[in-house]
Amino acid sequence: MKSIKRTIKYDADRVQGFGREIMGVTGCEQLPSCIQCGTCSGACPLSIYMDFSPRQVMALVRADFKREVLSSNTIWLCASCYGCTVECPRQIRITDIMYALKQRAIREGVYPKGMPIPVLAREFTRMVLSKGRITETLLVMRLFLKANWRAVLSSWRLGLGLIQTGRFVLKPERIERREELAAMLATVSVTRHAARAAKGRHHATPEQLIAEEVP
Amino acid sequence: MSASNGNGNGNGNRNGSQTGAIRIGFYVCHCGHNIGAVVDCAAVAHYVGTLPGVVLSRDYKYMCSDPGQELIQSDIREHRLNRVVVASCSPLLHEHTFRTAVERGGLNPFYFQMVNIREHNSWVHNDRELATVKAKAQARAAVERVRYHDSLRTTRVPIQPDVLVVGGGISGIHAALTLGNAGKKVFLVEREPSIGGHMAQFDKTFPTLDCAACILTPKMSAVRAHENITLWTYSEVAKVEGYVGNYTVTIRRRPRYVIEDLCVGCLECVGKCIYKEAKFPDDFNVGLSRRKPIYIPFPQAVPQVVLIDPERCLQVKTGKCKKTCLEACADRKAIDFSQQEELVQIKVGTIILATGFKLFDAKRIPQYGYGLYPNVVTSLELERLVTSSGPTSGEIILRDGSKPRTAGFILCVGSRDTRTNRWCSRTCCMHSMKLAQLFKEHTQADVTIFYMDIRAPGKGCEEFYDKSLREGIRFVRGRVAEVTDWALAPEEEGKLVIRVEDTLAGFVRRIPVDMIVLAVGMEPQADSQAMRRLFNLSCSTEGWFLEKHPKLAPVSTFTDGIFIAGCCQGPKDIPDSIAQAGAAAAECLALIDRGYIEQEPNTAHIHEENCSGCKSCLPLCPYTAISFDETVGRARINEALCKGCGTCVASCPSGAIGQHLFEDEQIFKEIEGILA
Ligand SMILES: Cc1cc2nc3c(=O)[nH]c(=O)nc-3n(C[C@H](O)[C@H](O)[C@H](O)COP(=O)(O)OP(=O)(O)OC[C@H]3O[C@@H](n4cnc5c(N)ncnc54)[C@H](O)[C@@H]3O)c2cc1C
Ligand code: SF4
Ligand code: SF4
Ligand code: SF4
Ligand code: SF4
Repeated sequence: MKSIKRTIKYDADRVQGFGREIMGVTGCEQLPSCIQCGTCSGACPLSIYMDFSPRQVMALVRADFKREVLSSNTIWLCASCYGCTVECPRQIRITDIMYALKQRAIREGVYPKGMPIPVLAREFTRMVLSKGRITETLLVMRLFLKANWRAVLSSWRLGLGLIQTGRFVLKPERIERREELAAMLATVSVTRHAARAAKGRHHATPEQLIAEEVP
Repeated sequence: MSASNGNGNGNGNRNGSQTGAIRIGFYVCHCGHNIGAVVDCAAVAHYVGTLPGVVLSRDYKYMCSDPGQELIQSDIREHRLNRVVVASCSPLLHEHTFRTAVERGGLNPFYFQMVNIREHNSWVHNDRELATVKAKAQARAAVERVRYHDSLRTTRVPIQPDVLVVGGGISGIHAALTLGNAGKKVFLVEREPSIGGHMAQFDKTFPTLDCAACILTPKMSAVRAHENITLWTYSEVAKVEGYVGNYTVTIRRRPRYVIEDLCVGCLECVGKCIYKEAKFPDDFNVGLSRRKPIYIPFPQAVPQVVLIDPERCLQVKTGKCKKTCLEACADRKAIDFSQQEELVQIKVGTIILATGFKLFDAKRIPQYGYGLYPNVVTSLELERLVTSSGPTSGEIILRDGSKPRTAGFILCVGSRDTRTNRWCSRTCCMHSMKLAQLFKEHTQADVTIFYMDIRAPGKGCEEFYDKSLREGIRFVRGRVAEVTDWALAPEEEGKLVIRVEDTLAGFVRRIPVDMIVLAVGMEPQADSQAMRRLFNLSCSTEGWFLEKHPKLAPVSTFTDGIFIAGCCQGPKDIPDSIAQAGAAAAECLALIDRGYIEQEPNTAHIHEENCSGCKSCLPLCPYTAISFDETVGRARINEALCKGCGTCVASCPSGAIGQHLFEDEQIFKEIEGILA
């Protein structure tokens, strides 16, 4: 038998100001005019697997239900197809809001356990930042190791096939003159640090910086 | 600068600044919080009180109220004021109010100047300090100007009692009948070959479900039979000149190749037309049926007269037809292939525009499949299908002739969408419920309405919503994402599939149906911008004609004597359209029955001593108000003809022309005041 749970929400369950913060992110400013029509959910190819539909995510953000939104699988299932954004009658950039929420979830480390997508996002950026490009094989390996190492065992045959056909290169790839990339990135993060300092947020860790780089 | 004496031919007495001391009374209005919250009114009053010539300066909560007006009157008497300045709202709203108050106080009403510190200040600023500085500058300008004001008289021009009504939908029909019944002569101009507008195409009308034709056609016939109404269908307005009370309008009458007075509507000609088959799409049935090149728009058309479509008629196109219609018409001799376009000029005093709306083109939303899937129709097409006089004699059938067993109505098509039309079209929730009820009644089908919000605020409309619910119409709250013919489940085979989030149930659903009805919204007419220019009106950015005031003057426009009614002002249902039409007719009657128009004394006048007789002003006056007196070698302005456009004033090389209300010294002092 399914256990019966209390579903009522109290005002203390809200994180006041969360909605406003998300709506302050570039691209998310239109959210206040959402009319909860559900076109985004209807247009979304993945909404049938989501725990909250995109429309519900919009409502939850607006109502400051931060914990519910950040721990939902919706933001991670979003495939960035932009179908919803194209169809929304209020021109709300739902996909951008999904990104803002993903960034927030990574920064706060609240994404659902075993969800590979945030891990992938982080490993992807790390690799690009240090090597200038990614090596798909290594990225996938790291993803498996960090998210679900048992999966390696079940997928070894596929992997082997890919290596044999040359689709999967084992040699790590990197760009030349990586020091120039590093210098470039340093200026970016210096500017970001400055911007953050101006906003009174001095203590962003490098970890958070990387998280904000995603993707 | 003009010389100080313009009495010669003016209606003004330009001696104000010369006789005695100037005693100015200044009033600044709080307009409740409208001005008071942004402008420090007490500070403005205090400042203006220190200016030379100002003997009294007050701030007051509501200057336009009765006590406010009485204050001006008693102050004029007690403090021997001879000039008054009020800083408040727009002169459009209250200039007349304050001029009247000044007159009641015993002064000439033109010894008054109004300053707009609401629309031009408090409503557009939020910095209290700067707004107050600006208000002081505005007030100072008026105080400087008003010293140079003159005592003037308004003139009265008689008003033409005839009225022009443009557009013969239900709004235009109702306005024309109201005016005609009041004994006024009305010209009703309709672009299409018959009057009736959209309503003529409906089967029933919400919320009472009375038969549209039964309530409309008697009014249409009444128009035709009315002794006071001249009906010109298949005609358009080509030109509008003049001003309130005296408009000259040119109407273009397109040739129907049939003489209206001779045709008896027997339709013998249609039967005998060389085209045996009716093969051209019929506009009235929105393309759902066919007609011949010679046709009557619909059985109850008014006037009951056929017309020939020049694009389709062989004779008109090539001149090589056997003209079997001519033979059929025989002695009646109503068909006339030599007919030409005709321009007619009429004189009217007032005009009502009732040009209605057009429907949103459903093809603009490709994901709903209109034009792609034959069983996706618009609500207007369904209106024609359910009407017993329609192309299927009232049977709702799919394109293959079979009966639909399920149907889905998609609401807000093109409406409430920032990418197409932002507005709510106001009638589609209601007419979709009407059509859903009729659909169910005719076919016993399972009908679902897909909506975002049901808007049923009119009288009897919520009850109509309840009736729909009780009759078993399903309602799914969600804006449909797409319509496809793509079956993913066995029950979807051969059907149209609606994909939608059922927002109240909380999941995405796929719902297969046989027929889909799109509730296409209302849009301004395609030519609304051209019409706006023709009649010198304002439009909202979307193209709806703009009313003078959204609450207080809903059928007036910014052009005096021109009124609007019905859907050309914005989406509305029939009861509201009729109410506006009646209101517009009443506004015309109010002007006509007063008998005259009071004209601003803003005419131009010539200072003869400065006129060099060069005649350069003569050809420039658009109203030919300037003549030349050969005996003295000076130009003369006929005040009755001058409209105060100012063209001659600006053009005179000797600076010999002045204009009442806009004299040089008034304007220069105003500028100096604002810059001081
Ligand atoms: C499918 C549908 C169903 C509806 N059902 C209902 C209902 O059941 N009950 C209800 O209350 N309302 C209903 N409505 C709303 C109703 O149609 C409008 O309220 C009504 O038609 C408005 O009348 P109107 O005269 O202002 O405009 P229109 O009916 O559009 O008439 C305007 C007329 O002006 C003419 N015209 C336009 N431009 C010019 C020009 N430049 N020169 C000369 N003539 C011109 C047009 O040819 C037309 O004849 C429905 C609307 C739709 C779309
Ligand atoms: S489509 Fe746009 S308006 Fe509709 S629910 Fe989604 S975000 Fe809101
Ligand atoms: S962008 Fe994301 S939320 Fe939007 S439709 Fe695509 S997958 Fe769904
Ligand atoms: S044109 Fe002649 S034949 Fe045709 S309907 Fe009129 S009167 Fe009859
Ligand atoms: S009346 Fe109803 S269907 Fe029409 S636009 Fe408004 S909400 Fe949508």
